[in-house]
Amino acid sequence: MIEFQSVSKLYDGLAAVDDVSLTLERGTLTAVVGTSGSGKSTLLRMVNRLVEPTSGRVLIDGADTASVPPAQLRRRIGYVIQDTGLFPHWSAARNIATVPELLGWPKAQIRARVRELMEVLQLDPDAIGPRRPHELSGGQAQRVGVARALAARPALLLMDEPFGALDPVIRGQAQADLRRVQRQLGTTVILVTHDMAEAIRLGDRIAVMREGRIEQFAAPAEIIAAPATPFVADLLGEGDRAFRLMSLRPAREIAEPGAAEGPMLPAGSSLAEALAEMIWTGRDRLPIAGPDGRAVGVVRRDAVIRAGRPEAGPE
Amino acid sequence: MRPAGVLRLALLALTAAFLLFPALFAPMLRPLAPPNMPVIYDRASLSSLALSHLALVAAAIIPSALLASALAILVTRPAGAEFLPLSRALVGFGQTFPPVAVLALAVPVVGFGTWPTLIALFLYGLLPIFENALAGLTGVSGAVRLAADGMGMTPGQKLRRVELPLALPLMIEGVRISAVIAVSTAAIGSTVAARSLGEVIIAGLNANNLSFVVQGGLLTAALALIVYEALGMVAEAARNRLGLPAEPASRPAG
Ligand SMILES: Nc1ncnc2c1ncn2[C@@H]1O[C@H](COP(=O)(O)OP(=O)(O)O)[C@@H](O)[C@H]1O
Ligand SMILES: [Mg+2]
Repeated sequence: MIEFQSVSKLYDGLAAVDDVSLTLERGTLTAVVGTSGSGKSTLLRMVNRLVEPTSGRVLIDGADTASVPPAQLRRRIGYVIQDTGLFPHWSAARNIATVPELLGWPKAQIRARVRELMEVLQLDPDAIGPRRPHELSGGQAQRVGVARALAARPALLLMDEPFGALDPVIRGQAQADLRRVQRQLGTTVILVTHDMAEAIRLGDRIAVMREGRIEQFAAPAEIIAAPATPFVADLLGEGDRAFRLMSLRPAREIAEPGAAEGPMLPAGSSLAEALAEMIWTGRDRLPIAGPDGRAVGVVRRDAVIRAGRPEAGPE
Repeated sequence: MRPAGVLRLALLALTAAFLLFPALFAPMLRPLAPPNMPVIYDRASLSSLALSHLALVAAAIIPSALLASALAILVTRPAGAEFLPLSRALVGFGQTFPPVAVLALAVPVVGFGTWPTLIALFLYGLLPIFENALAGLTGVSGAVRLAADGMGMTPGQKLRRVELPLALPLMIEGVRISAVIAVSTAAIGSTVAARSLGEVIIAGLNANNLSFVVQGGLLTAALALIVYEALGMVAEAARNRLGLPAEPASRPAG
């Protein structure tokens, strides 16, 4: 559990982070979203003491971070940055081994861990491992950066615009990978982004920042359904709200008993995907599959549209 | 082998031949010497003079490199940043003072011989090494620095594992520039009795023997070229070892 207690950071008397109090549950992914200069990176860096708060405290599992020597603290916390910051004179494998090396792990154990991580992140250890960063594609370099952050099995992972430099196709893949790895390992993640769509897609909760303050801290569905301030609504982009909300809810939630004609909707489809399929194939009832791939009911168009209204939002 | 490699080898072979068997070249230099005068310098062997010439350069440039690098490291630490202007002024002073003036000033203090030259070369060598080391250390990207801190490297680990290896090729380029200047400048040291190839040139000037002047001058130039090429190869090797894409030679300094 991460607690920010009235944390502020002043630069030349101006607050980059202004009296932020937040509690992030263990094992969750919190997306911190806001425009550029709103203090996201500063907030993130106060967790691993790359930035020292001017006032307030940051606690990890109840312990004040200020009481742990910075180098020791940082080796326990994964850190991923936008330009990857890979060490250009080291191979991908050596980059991944950075923190285990600092911690003095035995060589064989480091080698095994590097292989394991490369496989988890779909990087071929024999082909990619010996390469230098300048010989990697953007997507590969990004994954090496994530592998390096995860190498010493941190319980907490800080990510500062980790997908900012990727093209849209690779970014989608990288986001899906992050979600998978995060669920699999139960890692607590704080992800900084300026992209609300990314925050909605990945966050268990979203903290919206503006001028160093938290405007709203809530689950994605709640942010979409009830933006706390005009700024939050602006970030969401008014026009897309219904679709954003529908893309969050599984279509299975509104399935009814019955049967319908035509190809089946896959089990994990969202309301948005159900509606798109209806528009594309000109149907107003779709059969929907269960986890085993067999039809379990039907989804009706008017139910989909009703579920897309904010007052019908989940929770 | 590439043409550059052939040229390097030819230069090396020719220089070695001249140093070891100068008599072979006597017929060519004969017309330059006055009648009844020796063609090849004979008060000391050319090879021993070349060796002490190089030793003089090494004895001055190694401490120069150590001090300049230490200063560059110091002023790139957060605690040492305030010493940057002072360090710049210090090494800049060493560079702007002409070596001849240093020799003239040093002789009354330390006497004739090797010391005045060592001091002059040492001071003259500081600036190129300092500026190149500084460029190398400050050239490490912000993201790489942030990552080193973020991974939990201590300041010492960051310096040894990341900053120094990345700055090394440029640092070697700085040493290369200083060493080449020092090879040429060391010849002047013979005016205050340092043992170097300059002795041959001075003897030639005194005795009006153009052959001495030419052989001393050519050998000094050849040594400078050899040092330039050799340290260029060391810098190249350092870059290769880092696996960095090849870089065009150093930024000019000094
Ligand atoms: N080291 C620093 N010195 C002075 N001002 C800073 C420093 N770091 C950040 N700031 C300022 O603090 C504000 C927030 O910066 P930052 O946390 O990087 O924002 P974000 O990550 O949301 O873009 C900006 O106005 C920035 O200029
Ligand atoms: Mg930022």
